[in-house]
Amino acid sequence: MSKINHIADESGDKYKYGFVTDIEADTAPKGLNEDIIRLISAKKGEPEWLLDFRLKAFEFWQTMHEPSWAKLTYDKIDYQDLYYYSAPRRKAAPKSLDEVDPELLETYEKLGIPLKEQEVLAGVVAVDAVFDSVSVATTYRAKLAEQGVIFCSISEAVREHPELVQKYLGSVVPYTDNFFACLNSAVFTDGSFVYIPKGVRCPMELSTYFRINAKNTGQFERTLIIADDESYVSYLEGCTAPQRDENQLHAAIVEIVVLKNAEVKYSTVQNWYPGDKDGKGGVYNFVTKRAACRGENAKVSWTQVETGSAVTWKYPSCVLQGDNSVGEFYSVAITNNRQQADTGTKMIHIGKNTSSKIISKGISAGFSNQTYRGLVRVAPGAANARNYSQCDSLLIGNNCGSHTVPYIENRNRTAVLEHEATTSKISDEQLFYCQQRGIGEEEAVSLIVNGFCKEVMQHLPMEFAIEAAKLINISLEGSVG
Amino acid sequence: MSALLQNISLIGDEIPWLGKLRQKGREAFAAAGIPGAKTEAWKYLKPRELDADDYVFSVSATPKSVDALPFDSYRLRFENGRFCPEGSNLPLQAEVVPLVETFMDKEGRAPFYAEQTDWIEKYPFAALNMACLNEGIFIRIPGGCRLDKPILLDCHICCGGENLFSALHNVVVLEGGAEAEFVEYYHYTGEVKSRYFNNIVNQIFIAENAVLHHIKVQDEAFKAAHIAFSPVCVGAGGRYESFCLQLGADIARNETKVMLNRAGAECEVNAAYKVDGWARADTTTDIEHLAPCTISRQLVKGVIGGQSKGIFQGKIHIAKDCIQTEGSQLHKALLLSDGAEVDVKPELEIFADDVKCSHGAAAGELDQEQLFYMRSRGIGQEEARQILIEAYLDEVISKVGNEQIRAWIKLLLHGE
Repeated sequence: MSKINHIADESGDKYKYGFVTDIEADTAPKGLNEDIIRLISAKKGEPEWLLDFRLKAFEFWQTMHEPSWAKLTYDKIDYQDLYYYSAPRRKAAPKSLDEVDPELLETYEKLGIPLKEQEVLAGVVAVDAVFDSVSVATTYRAKLAEQGVIFCSISEAVREHPELVQKYLGSVVPYTDNFFACLNSAVFTDGSFVYIPKGVRCPMELSTYFRINAKNTGQFERTLIIADDESYVSYLEGCTAPQRDENQLHAAIVEIVVLKNAEVKYSTVQNWYPGDKDGKGGVYNFVTKRAACRGENAKVSWTQVETGSAVTWKYPSCVLQGDNSVGEFYSVAITNNRQQADTGTKMIHIGKNTSSKIISKGISAGFSNQTYRGLVRVAPGAANARNYSQCDSLLIGNNCGSHTVPYIENRNRTAVLEHEATTSKISDEQLFYCQQRGIGEEEAVSLIVNGFCKEVMQHLPMEFAIEAAKLINISLEGSVG
Repeated sequence: MSALLQNISLIGDEIPWLGKLRQKGREAFAAAGIPGAKTEAWKYLKPRELDADDYVFSVSATPKSVDALPFDSYRLRFENGRFCPEGSNLPLQAEVVPLVETFMDKEGRAPFYAEQTDWIEKYPFAALNMACLNEGIFIRIPGGCRLDKPILLDCHICCGGENLFSALHNVVVLEGGAEAEFVEYYHYTGEVKSRYFNNIVNQIFIAENAVLHHIKVQDEAFKAAHIAFSPVCVGAGGRYESFCLQLGADIARNETKVMLNRAGAECEVNAAYKVDGWARADTTTDIEHLAPCTISRQLVKGVIGGQSKGIFQGKIHIAKDCIQTEGSQLHKALLLSDGAEVDVKPELEIFADDVKCSHGAAAGELDQEQLFYMRSRGIGQEEARQILIEAYLDEVISKVGNEQIRAWIKLLLHGE
């Protein structure tokens, strides 16, 4: 049972997650200043070192400028006009799902994440659900604990495993990294924490579900995954937001630490509200995702299906420090109507014999614009580094744009790097072939698009893949003819 | 660098169009300054260090001797950035004159072309060149004329003790159906004790069905800076073919911006570079498909040794509704040593759906098996490497159509 089980339900409304949950929320005053940060920290009962980390980040953030290099145009964000903390009100932390507000559970039910059922049904996925700023429920804790796997909200991890959090938080994405990461470091409210101990193969797929509900709220979650020596985990992430006329801000960080011989597979289906067909509303999605392969033979693989958000700014990266480490990036990005996406990856080769692979498929339709922006960097010491990149773009209609900007920086002569990119439209011959066999135009297009994305889709976990394929069809609805 | 424009005194400031252009250049350069690592278009070359040195214009232009023509051609000789009638021979069937001669010509067409500088704000070095607009040539090939021999722009530097600055500005106009070969050759003699800076702009206009073959060899001294920018406009059915070989200089950039303005316009922009020591060689292209049914092709190959750095930035832009266009681009680099570096940024920017566009980039070292094959047949290590490197670059050099020029390029590459 996947959490996006119903995402691609063929209902009449294209974006079926546009509803708002009417739930009492605890909200901090609008605006961003030191007091708000102290308030967030106090509300969460954080230790001194974390407050320090936040304040240092905030101080640094004030000296930074919002980046403008991406091929994105959006209205200026007023960072003082946002709520930085909003939590569903509750009396005490729930010990089990029975204590979680029924309204909340219903919301997740609507989203296709039957948290409650999962406790009963034999499932394969453990879920951590984050509502606005806080984690509301994490399932399957006990079963995971048997193996020593820690899967909880990051606030909980700060309380219960401070030594792990303190050691790794900000070690992959330091707060000085970029404007949005710095903002997140100052105000992050919740997120997931995963620790897989030495030698453990996580028995089930872990999953986080993010939901922005409250109005004018920024969502700033932070995920930290640590895969200790010889371990393995597959992690899934999904997101939705209500349909609102004003834009919502989402600035998240995902940090992954992969140690010797460990492997992490991170899959995302991003379906934030994309705005209506004229580009009104929608989520601004500014995300910093990075994995550090610290040990030998470490492996990390990013798979993403990006269909939502009005504006996407996202570059999941791999820092290949350990010798023989491997980084992979598989991406399908679909933009329609007035959506804009500037997305890609960075592969930083530092260790010897490191290899990376990038497969990116972009589909632009309607009036949308999409950019693949990637970096492959080989450090002087990265002997025998190997990279293969392939970026294909498909344009549907004459009003959209598709751009490719790969950066390749090689400082080692033994490295072998290859990059290929193509841009084309769906060929009339392919369409004709399908239509001749009685397949309607729209159906034919989705068939061809799904074929175009196949190389990426096959890297998604099974139940994710089926739903993602349906999601692609929905995203492209109305783009033909 | 900043003192350069203050001390400059050029004739002709009172001529309205000329004064205005120079003024425009001064303003654009003052606004932009010399770009550093933070400017996206210059992030790899980082030319800001040029700012540290002071440069002077050369006054005299008396060559001690003029070397023989490298191949059969017309020639315009420039010595230390000044036109030099000795050693120059000009074709009669076309208008080929030093730029200064066009300043006073009220009937002439030069101002009409030179004033087309919409791009000036984005190109700080071209703005600097415009501020110093004085030296260079004006070539106008009349409609239907096919020039029998290539025009060679022979730019020779013989440096003294001072840092020399030279700003050449060439305007090349091919009227309907004309065809010509234009060769630029930058070289030096003697021991270059000081730095020199060659700043070049070539404004090229190719009318309908005209064809220009543009070849450039940059073989500057190891201390030199060489920054060139060629904006090229191509009309309906016109064709621009270029090849640039970069061998020398400390900081070098050859930038080509091709605007395929009308249906059926085509271009082929090829380049090769072979750098060593601490050199940085940059090849930047920006191909704009502004009309349907236009075609562009690019092949760039580089060989990088020592602590040097090869840079390639290539952009293909396809404007809205420019359907049935084709753009292809390929960059390959060979790294010979441990300190060598290659930075590549190919870019596709596409706003039309019925297009075929691709780019590719590859980097690696010399194939050990090929080396072994040659060595096992009694060819020494160094010689084998040399053969392989020349063969590697031959793929792109062989695209030069003129046999004599091709042979000359191969000789230069071989280091003779």
